[in-house]
Amino acid sequence: MLNEEALATHRQELRRGTIVLACLLLLSRPNYGYALLDALEKSGFEVDANTLYPLLRRLEKQGLLTSEWNTDDSRPRKFYATSKEGAALADTLKRDWHDLDSAFLSLKDDS
Amino acid sequence: MTATSSPTDRYVAATLRSLPERQRQDIEAELRALIADAIDDRREAGVDADSAERQVLTELGAPARLAASYSDRSLYLIGPEFYLDYLRVLTLLLSTLVPLWFVIFALVTFADGSPADVAFGGALYSALETAMSIAFFTTLVFAIIERVSAVRTKRRATWDPSSLPEVRAKRGYFTELIGGVVFLAVIVIAVVLTQTLGAVEGPEGDGVGPVASGVWESGVLYITLFFAIASISFHVLAYYTGWSTANAIANTVLVVLFAVPAIWLAASGRLLSEDYFRAVGWPEGANVVAVVVIVVVILLTASDAVGGFVRASKKRRTR
Repeated sequence: MLNEEALATHRQELRRGTIVLACLLLLSRPNYGYALLDALEKSGFEVDANTLYPLLRRLEKQGLLTSEWNTDDSRPRKFYATSKEGAALADTLKRDWHDLDSAFLSLKDDS
Repeated sequence: MTATSSPTDRYVAATLRSLPERQRQDIEAELRALIADAIDDRREAGVDADSAERQVLTELGAPARLAASYSDRSLYLIGPEFYLDYLRVLTLLLSTLVPLWFVIFALVTFADGSPADVAFGGALYSALETAMSIAFFTTLVFAIIERVSAVRTKRRATWDPSSLPEVRAKRGYFTELIGGVVFLAVIVIAVVLTQTLGAVEGPEGDGVGPVASGVWESGVLYITLFFAIASISFHVLAYYTGWSTANAIANTVLVVLFAVPAIWLAASGRLLSEDYFRAVGWPEGANVVAVVVIVVVILLTASDAVGGFVRASKKRRTR
């Protein structure tokens, strides 16, 4: 029986990277950090706030996201949106994800 | 900061402290909004203001960790990319410089007139100090390399199977080593016994041994013992770290440091007591034994020095 810590590590390893794809897809409509965190959780992506916020800035620095301060509300918020490069990366990653999925399915058929 | 600053204020200040100036304003504004949003969310769910704030900050975790994540700073001293190189350099430096320093320090303090035990203790202490400085500075240099991205991208560690070390013939090596230790012990015991129990009556009616009393009393023989022990430790260390040219050079310096004074002592007739050999009825014995000592010292040290280079080049050829 696999211990809990090892199990958690394996699952975390598998999920690593899926958050980037989820963000790029979700941010095709501009959104701010806390709302994105909420949306991710509701869609079933587990991510910590202290992982997501720095990640958004890294993606922005790489040109995959653009950002804009929205001052329409009483509380100014930084809104992020997927850039053209970000959308292209999302397409590539999505294709990779599907390829992996069919690869896993074919493993199941063979066995 | 005033006593009335809120936990959020303190959290934000602690996070920003280690971030670069130009990022601070933007991150502060965003972080405050994110924290406020999260607190509002919890209060709507019925949590009171203080505990809502505490929960949100607890979830964000230590400010230093968050700041490191924002600025892409590593939270380790030496990462996996450089760790192996770090270990290699550290073991190489420790295994070559520390034994050498030990011997040189012992020799210099002894030549300066300190008694043998003081020289030995001083050398031991100084060698430990040297080891610590080497460890510190090697670590410092690698920690800096880890943090200079220009260096980091330049060096991509390449490894290929030809760099594998030869399989060590453990048994043969240890037989050799144990043989060396036994040989050393026999020599030491023989010299000590003939000098003390085997002493004969000299011209002035006192006991004389084969070693000149000046040399015996000066403690020069202790120094010889230092050398032997240092050399054995050196060989053990070099064996574990693998012989390199640096090892071989250090080894050569070590044996030259021993051989030159030893040959000088024997050749100038200061090593052996002529009185002893005359008393045992072998007047030319002092010269004969001196020549034997010189030849043995030259053979042993030369083969040791050359052996180091042979081992080092053998290892290189397998690369």
